[in-house]
Amino acid sequence: MTGAPGRSAPTIDPKDLTLKISGAIIGLVIVLWLGKNFLYDPGQFLTVAIQGLKNGALYALIALGYTMVYGIIQLINFAHGDLFMLGTMMSAFVITTVLGQSSPGPAGYAAFVVALVVSMAFCGGLNVGIERFAYRRLRRAPKLAPLITAVGVSFVLQFIGLRWNGSGQKQWQSVIPDGQINIGSVEIDVQTIIIFAVTIPLLLLLTWLVTRTKQGRAMRATAQDQDAARLMGINVDRTISFTFALGGALAGAAGLMYQQVVGTTAYNLGFQLGLIAFTSAVLGGIGNLTGAVLGGLLIGLIQGLNDGLVYGLGQQWSQSVVFTILILLMVFKPAGLLGKNVTEKV
Amino acid sequence: MARHTSIESTSNRRWAIGFTAAAAFLFVLYHWIVPNSPQPVHDFVQGWFSNANTNEMIVYIIMALGLNVVVGYAGLLDLGFVAFWAIGGYVAGWLMSSFLGNFQINIFGNPAPGLEMGIHITFWWVLLLAGGFCALWGIIIGAPTLRLKSDYLALVTLGFGEIIPQVFVNGQDINGFNLSNGTQGITPIDPIKFFGFRDLGPFDLDYKFVIYSVICAGMVMVSLRLRSGRLGRAWLAIREDELAASMMGVPLMRTKLSAYAVGAFAGGLGGVVFATHINGVFAERFNFSISIIILAMVVLGGMGNVWGVMVGAIVLSWINGIGLQQLGNTINTTFNTDINFPSFNFLIFGSLLILMMIFRREGFIPEARTRLVMHEHDRDNEEVQ
Amino acid sequence: MANALQADAITVQFGGLVAVNDVSFSVPEGGIVSLIGPNGAGKTTFFNVLTGLYKPTSGVVRLGDEIITARPPHIIAKHGLARTFQNIRLFGLMTAEENVMVAMHSHMRSGILRTLLKTPHQRREEAQAHARARELLDYVGVGRYASEYARNLPYGDQRRLEVARALALQPKVLLLDEPTAGMNPQESAAFVEFVRRVREEMHVSILLIEHDMSVVMRVSERITVLDQGQKIAEGTPDEIKSDARVIEAYLGKSGVEGGR
Repeated sequence: MTGAPGRSAPTIDPKDLTLKISGAIIGLVIVLWLGKNFLYDPGQFLTVAIQGLKNGALYALIALGYTMVYGIIQLINFAHGDLFMLGTMMSAFVITTVLGQSSPGPAGYAAFVVALVVSMAFCGGLNVGIERFAYRRLRRAPKLAPLITAVGVSFVLQFIGLRWNGSGQKQWQSVIPDGQINIGSVEIDVQTIIIFAVTIPLLLLLTWLVTRTKQGRAMRATAQDQDAARLMGINVDRTISFTFALGGALAGAAGLMYQQVVGTTAYNLGFQLGLIAFTSAVLGGIGNLTGAVLGGLLIGLIQGLNDGLVYGLGQQWSQSVVFTILILLMVFKPAGLLGKNVTEKV
Repeated sequence: MARHTSIESTSNRRWAIGFTAAAAFLFVLYHWIVPNSPQPVHDFVQGWFSNANTNEMIVYIIMALGLNVVVGYAGLLDLGFVAFWAIGGYVAGWLMSSFLGNFQINIFGNPAPGLEMGIHITFWWVLLLAGGFCALWGIIIGAPTLRLKSDYLALVTLGFGEIIPQVFVNGQDINGFNLSNGTQGITPIDPIKFFGFRDLGPFDLDYKFVIYSVICAGMVMVSLRLRSGRLGRAWLAIREDELAASMMGVPLMRTKLSAYAVGAFAGGLGGVVFATHINGVFAERFNFSISIIILAMVVLGGMGNVWGVMVGAIVLSWINGIGLQQLGNTINTTFNTDINFPSFNFLIFGSLLILMMIFRREGFIPEARTRLVMHEHDRDNEEVQ
Repeated sequence: MANALQADAITVQFGGLVAVNDVSFSVPEGGIVSLIGPNGAGKTTFFNVLTGLYKPTSGVVRLGDEIITARPPHIIAKHGLARTFQNIRLFGLMTAEENVMVAMHSHMRSGILRTLLKTPHQRREEAQAHARARELLDYVGVGRYASEYARNLPYGDQRRLEVARALALQPKVLLLDEPTAGMNPQESAAFVEFVRRVREEMHVSILLIEHDMSVVMRVSERITVLDQGQKIAEGTPDEIKSDARVIEAYLGKSGVEGGR
C-alpha cells in the first residue's frame, strides 16, 4: 500500500485523497483553535505553553525508553510507565525518608543529585532484570507472548508500588524552590528551568552514547538486523540489556523530577503517564530517538494547552485528548512524524 | 462425509446436555437446597460461592468468550475490551430505565411502577441492540487500525478502553446533555420479565441466573459454530500466517473486522447482562484491570479453546470476586494475621500472565493446536531477499 | 495461443535500487514455463509483483483478460492466480483438510448469520467443501493425513499439501516457488511427474521458479532467464542451454558460487 516506492502513473488514489483532505481539515481546526486562544491572551497562552513543555520534557524522557526498546526488539514495553512510577517512589524514599530533606538549600540540592543517581541506577537495573527474566526467553516466540508478558510485568510493578506507597496518593515536600521568573506577562517556574537543566544534559549524553560509543553502534546495528549484528561479532544479549538499562535510567530521572515537581506519588501513576509517553513515541515515529523527544514535547504542549486555555476542553478530558491523537495518528500517519514505512517480505 | 457431520452433532449434543445439567444443578442449589439448609451450610455456600458471584461469573464467561474470538481465534490482541462492556452497559442504562426522561417510550418494556418516564424496551431486544451497537463501535475503531501491525492494534484498543470510560465518567454534561449521569451512574434498571409471570428485580438472583445461563449457552454455541465454519477457518488462517491467508483468497481486513465485531457484540451482551445483574451502570467500574482480567481468562484457559476459556473465566472471576477475600479472611482468622489479601490481585494476575507466557503458553486446557502455536519457538526469521 | 498470464514491461524500484528492470513475460494457456536466474536476480520480487504483494513502479500484469496489477492479494487469488511458497507457509496448526478448505474461502458464500443458523445452504456448502478437500488431498497423495495438523506432515508431503491448497482456489495459473527445494533427486523426479499430471488433469498453466537445473530442463516448455533484474534470455530448454549470456550469468564471474 504505502510501502511501494513510486507509482506507475500519476493517478490519484481516492482513499489517499480522502485521508489527505481530512488530515488537512483536522490540522486547520487545530491551527484555528490555537490562533483564537493566542489572540485571547498571549501572555497566558505562553505561560500555559511553557507549562506544557515542562511536562513534555518528562514525557520525552519516558518516551525514549519506549522507543529504544521498540527499536531494538519490536516490543511495546507496557511496563515502562510503571518503571517510571517506581522511580518516583525511589526518589521520595531517598530524598525524604533516607536523607531527610524537605526544603531547598545546599543539603537539599545534594540530596537531589544523590536521588538522581540512585533512581536512575535503580530503574535501569530493574529494567535489565525484567528483560533477563521475562522478555529474553520470549524473543523468538510469537508476538502475542511478549506483549502479554509485558502487561503482566506492568501489573506486578503496580503491585510493588501499591505495597510501597499504599493505595492512595502521597504528598511530598520538594527541595526545588517554588519561585517564578516573569518575562513580560509570561511566567516561568524555577521548576521548569530545573527540569530542562537536567533533561538537556541527559539528552546530550544519550546522543553521545548512541552515536559515538561502541555500545551505541552495537545498539544501532542490532536494531537494524539482529542476525547480521550477531554475525559481525556483536553480543546481542548484552546490547539489548544495555538498551534496557539506558531506557530505565531515563525513566528513573523522569521519576525523580516528577516526584519533586508535582510532589505526589501513586501506584497507578505509571499507567497513564506511560500511555501518554508511548503516544509521544508513536507521534515522533517509533524507533526514532529524535522523534521521541519531539513527540514528547508536542504532546506535553498540546496537553498543557488543552488543560490551561480558556477555549480548551479542560483537564478532565486530558486523557481522551491524548488518546484521540493516538488514534488519529494511527489512521493518518502510522509511521509518525519522523518514521518511515516498511513492508513485509515473503 | 456423513461420518463427519454425525461426530460434530454428537459432541454438540453432549455439551448441550452437560451445560443444561450444570445450570439446572446450580439453580436447584440456590433456589431450594440452600434456603432450606441448616445455617452453617447456608453461610458456607453464600460465603464461598454466593449466587451473586455465580451470576457475575456468567457475565465474565460471556465476555471471555467474546474476547476469545478476537485473541484466541484471530490472534489480534485487544487490551481495551472493557470499552464494549461499558458501552453495552450504558445501552441498557439508556433503554431500560427512566434515565432519558425526555422520552416516554415503551416497547414491550417493563418499567417499575412510578418510573414510567424514559425509554423502556424489553431485555431481549436491548441485548440485540447493545450487541449491535458495540459491534458497530468495534468496526469504527477496528477499520482504521486493523490494517496496521498487530501490536499497534493492542495500543489503540488500549486507548479506546481508556477513552470510553472517561467519556462516561465525564458525561453528565456534554454541552448541556447528560449522557451518563457521571459518576452517579444510572440506576435502577428495569426488571426482566421472566416468562411473563415474574419481574426479576435486584434480588431474584436465581431466576436471573437461568436467563443469564441461556445467554451464555448462546455464546458458547456461537463460538463453536463460527469456529467450525468458513469464517472460523479464515480467522485461524490469519492467526497462523496472515500473508499466506491473503494469498489463499482470504480478505484480511474484512475477516479481522468480523472477528472484532463478533467479539464486541459479545462484550455488549455482557454489558447488558451485568447492568441487569447489579441493577445499574456505574462508570467507575470500567477500568483497565477488567480488560486484563478478561485477557487473563482467555490466556489461562488456552487461547482458542472454548471450554478452557470458560474454566479460566470461572476460576479467575471467583478469585477476583470473592475467592481471594474469603481465603484471606480464613487465613487471617486462623493464623491471627492481618494481611490485606485483595491487594494481592495485581500480583496474582500479573504473575499469572508472565508465568503462563513463559512456561505454559498453551494455557491449562489447551486446544491441541494452540499448544503448537504458542511453542513455535524457533520459527526462523522469514527468508528475506 | 492465448496467454493465461501476461506481464508487460514490469519495473520495480526500491529507493534507488532497480530490482526488476523492464521485464516482459507470459505464460501461455496450458503451458509450463520456468523463471530462472542466479540468486538476487529479482525472481522473487517479480513473483511478488504478480501476486500483488508489491506494486510495480511501472508495468501491467494481466490474468486472462483481467488487469490485476497491484490489486490486493486476495482479489488476485480469487481471479485465479494461486501460489506455493519457497519456505513452506502452511497454516501449521490447522488440519490438512482445513488448510485446503481455507483456500475455498473466496468460492464460498456463507457468512456469520448462515453459519450461526446452519441453514441448509450452509450445510450443503460445508459438505461440498469437505468432499472437495478430501478429493484434493487424495489427488496429491496426502489423503491419509486429512486430520493431522499440517506442521506434523513429512516435508515432501507438506509441499504436496501446499499444491492441494493452491488447487482449491481453482486457479487458472499456478505459481510454484522453488517447489523441489530440499528434495533429493528421486523426490524431485517424482515431483516433476506430478507437476505434469496436475497441468493435464487440472487444466492449469504453471509458472515455476526453480534452482535445480535438471528439474527446469525436464519440465519446462519455455524458460525465461533473469539476471540482475534484467531479462537476458528466453526460449526452449535447448536454446537456453546453449545461450552464451546464460552460461556467463551462471558460470561466468561467479562461477564457483553459481555452480551449486
